[in-house]
Amino acid sequence: MAGPWWRKCPRLTTGCTATNILENLWHLKGRPVSFSASLLSRASCIPTPETRFQHKYLHIFLSRHQSRLLLPTLQSCCCRATHSDTKPKDPFTLAQKDLTSLYDDIKKELFVSKVELKSLCEYYFDGKGKAIRPMIVVLMARALNIHSNRAGDLLPGQRAIAMISEMIHTASLVHDDVIDGSDKRRGKRTINEVWGEKKAILAGDFILSAASMALARIGNITVVKVLSQVIEDLVRGEFMQLGSKENENERFKHYLEKTFKKTASLIANSCKAVSILVNSDPEVHEIAYQYGKNVGIAFQLVDDVLDFTSGASQLGKPTAADLKLGLATGPVLFACQQFPELHAMIMRRFASKGDVDRAWQYVLQSNGVQQTNYLAQHYCKEAIRQISRLRPSPERDALIRLTEMVLTRDK
Amino acid sequence: MFSPCWSRLSCVALSSRGGLRTLSLFSSSGSSNWSKVVSDAEKIVGYPTSFMSLRCLLSDELSNVAMHLRKLVGTQHPLLNTARGFVYDSKNNLQMRGLVVLLLSKAAGPSHAASDLLAQDMVSGIYPSQRNLAEITELIHTAFLVHRGIVNLKEWTDSDGPLKDMQFGNKMAVLSGDFLLANACTGLAQLNNTKVVELISSAIGDLVQGVYYENSHNTEENGLTDGIDVAAWEEQTFLSHGALLAKSCQAAMELAKHDKESQRLAYKYGKHLSLGHKLNSDLQPFMKSRVGEPLSFSLSAAPVVFHRQIMGRETWHHQLQQAKTLRNQLDYSKLLAAVKSEKGVSTAMDLCCYHGNKALEAIQAFPSSEARSALENIASAVTKF
Repeated sequence: MAGPWWRKCPRLTTGCTATNILENLWHLKGRPVSFSASLLSRASCIPTPETRFQHKYLHIFLSRHQSRLLLPTLQSCCCRATHSDTKPKDPFTLAQKDLTSLYDDIKKELFVSKVELKSLCEYYFDGKGKAIRPMIVVLMARALNIHSNRAGDLLPGQRAIAMISEMIHTASLVHDDVIDGSDKRRGKRTINEVWGEKKAILAGDFILSAASMALARIGNITVVKVLSQVIEDLVRGEFMQLGSKENENERFKHYLEKTFKKTASLIANSCKAVSILVNSDPEVHEIAYQYGKNVGIAFQLVDDVLDFTSGASQLGKPTAADLKLGLATGPVLFACQQFPELHAMIMRRFASKGDVDRAWQYVLQSNGVQQTNYLAQHYCKEAIRQISRLRPSPERDALIRLTEMVLTRDK
Repeated sequence: MFSPCWSRLSCVALSSRGGLRTLSLFSSSGSSNWSKVVSDAEKIVGYPTSFMSLRCLLSDELSNVAMHLRKLVGTQHPLLNTARGFVYDSKNNLQMRGLVVLLLSKAAGPSHAASDLLAQDMVSGIYPSQRNLAEITELIHTAFLVHRGIVNLKEWTDSDGPLKDMQFGNKMAVLSGDFLLANACTGLAQLNNTKVVELISSAIGDLVQGVYYENSHNTEENGLTDGIDVAAWEEQTFLSHGALLAKSCQAAMELAKHDKESQRLAYKYGKHLSLGHKLNSDLQPFMKSRVGEPLSFSLSAAPVVFHRQIMGRETWHHQLQQAKTLRNQLDYSKLLAAVKSEKGVSTAMDLCCYHGNKALEAIQAFPSSEARSALENIASAVTKF
């Protein structure tokens, strides 16, 4: 069984630790190493004035330094923090306890008598998904709880929100597969492929209604409002994909807005929702929201890049699923600047014969992929900046690590 | 099962009670009677409900869909029919649910328990939250009408028209249905009552299950499996046609913080009215025939379902075969005659009266008022054919 993608990234060099990498970076800049190894390795360090200064310096350094170097070095150290006196910062491990029963609990919410409908609704809750959204929610909840002077443990409502976010996400996937006419997802045939479109739509509607009921049962109307907004955003995002914009400048803005609605809104608002349950400070809600939003956008940008790059090395031909659906994503939009021929193709949604292949070639010849990656890094930096305003905790650091993983995933 | 004689007698008795119309039970002026009842009711609640939330209809998204729908003209995609239904007034699209919710809200009167619900916020005796709920109910109902119109592409044949059109129609149907549902969800959140959110969300779940049952009956038309009995029919029809109204009526009471008993009665009214209305609708093709209209009816219509249950599997299968032409098409007039000759129709009519009465019983527990009378008239009207 394929594990989560972040487990695949250890391209470890032996004996590589975070400290070593940064030492190298510092030397490159001609500065002596002047900070302690504990800065990065200690999971729950209490910020002394010294470490705080170093932390700040580190961030300034990282943000000034071109990401070209940042990327490969982080790749090799992101999964291992081998210090015996600290808790592991691997997000998956930290969230593990809370997530083991997640899918079983979701299935309990899908209370329906007709056996076939039940199996349709449970189809994607088989534990094979990445569960990245619930993971973020759970980590954020714990980090916020600690920040708010409580024990790290999840409140029941926060747990429910983790479930609900995954349910809403799944319901939208089921409908998206019908809209896109997809026949495969997560290695299995889609619901519409097996049972037909009518039943697929009904299954999606049912999951949504179950999510809505679970949401109401938390008993907090503000949380209900925040997450209902997600449902609306998801649909509006899908509508945005129907139309193309004439103007080049408008197109990019449109793309980012659509990306927010379709991907980031769920993560941002789920994070905000868990913050509402534990803290009444609007600034804290904003931190949670902004982290979720920035990570979400970065996640989608990388996804859009992978649509171009992942097929290439393995199959030697494009996956290019987005192009085939007529969608112009980040890499294409950037590539337009170098290959104006792409404009016409975008307007006709790559419908002419040969458009998809030609567009793919143009993109790979351009710096569209790199530019999109840089943009994703920018959003991750912002996410880190935001989350760093919370009190230190293993979970907070895991969330920082998570942004790095978002950037370096290869599938 | 109930006694047919008893319920029919009580129906007749009701129609001659003072204050209600004294039309005979099975008058042929059914539809004009119905329109009058509805338009009188609309006046009572302050403005016509014959349009959905304009805000929703005029949104960019739905305008977009309307534009795209033009491409479907000339195809066989069901979405086109659904959309037509909104433009041309027809019996099915009178926004009945919304109207009933409004009337019930008015009939139940002002809140005695909630301090934040002020009398001055009431318009025509209805709180803004209750009006919004009525709209939301219609949104959900419409969303499912739209989602029902999705076709299974694997069952597509050449006679349906180009596959591309079916795919496109599906896309539009999914999106518009989802849009309506999403608006319903955000609308529900704005009502500031998590109990109501839970209740109406559960109604959406019921609708899904009901439509699921509908589909499985529609696909099984060769009469080779066992039919369902009255109790099962009622259960499934409640899910697809009754739960939404029943729970919305209850929710309207909850919004004004009326007591548990009012909520129960409102639920009861909504439930029985919906079932009676569905029976009435199913019975139309079996009543005095209208000259010139092409005859067709669904095999899942109540009279047919009951007839089938009474006749048993073998007889039913035989009757179906007898009613088929040389080209294996169904001769509806033959089948109609077969059904009418047995007890299916009368069973359905009795059941319709039964539910109409139950609805009346529920509403008469509320204090007398204009709104209550309108609801009584509506309940009576569903028992007239």
